[in-house]
Amino acid sequence: MVGIVLISHSSGLAEGAAELVGQIAAGTRVVPAGGTDDGRLGTSTDRIAAAIAAADTGDGVLLIPDLGSSVLSALALLADLDPRANGERIRLADAPFVEGAVAAAVAASGGLDLTAVASAAEEARDVRKL
Amino acid sequence: MSANSEARHAIDAVVRVVVLPKHLHARPAGQLAQLAARHPSTAIELVAGQRRANARSVLAVMGLGAVSGGEVQVVVAGPDAATVADEVVEILQSPETDG
Repeated sequence: MVGIVLISHSSGLAEGAAELVGQIAAGTRVVPAGGTDDGRLGTSTDRIAAAIAAADTGDGVLLIPDLGSSVLSALALLADLDPRANGERIRLADAPFVEGAVAAAVAASGGLDLTAVASAAEEARDVRKL
Repeated sequence: MSANSEARHAIDAVVRVVVLPKHLHARPAGQLAQLAARHPSTAIELVAGQRRANARSVLAVMGLGAVSGGEVQVVVAGPDAATVADEVVEILQSPETDG
């Protein structure tokens, strides 16, 4: 099953989103990577790398960042972890954080592959809430 | 199953109507999307008032804004349409849960 890493400046935000997603799409591997190593707001490439390792069951990992430096940290890490950048093992989703995470996790729990899970996350951008 | 019945299933749509005992919120929407993912060749559509949603999209189903007491039409077409429609109805009719 595709794993999902939620990258946020805030550990509370990442953990809360992962908890919510786990309620909606039970059985998925959603790993939060929020905040800095010393518990402040910010992003930590070490924490993100550890989360990717924890999320990876062999079917690939989708990274969903919240804003700003979450995106930049994820991009920097991608360049290290996936130098060929072919998107087969790890991808970065351009998606809204909560909606993208929910849509991706539901797709992953249905056994879809990394490309389909990434598409599910990115389609979340176009779905109206009201 | 014979080739004939496969062909008939492919064009027939099964339609069910459910009066919701609960809001169509996140958890049942997730269950519907998971069901849809298990049946990739079967089209599952929900209709609530003027809105329609593909059950494959958990967010579109939540966006229907279908509330307790409201009527939802379930339209299923493709392989195992009747069985899948039964499962959709079961999810929609299951008792109130949080989330």
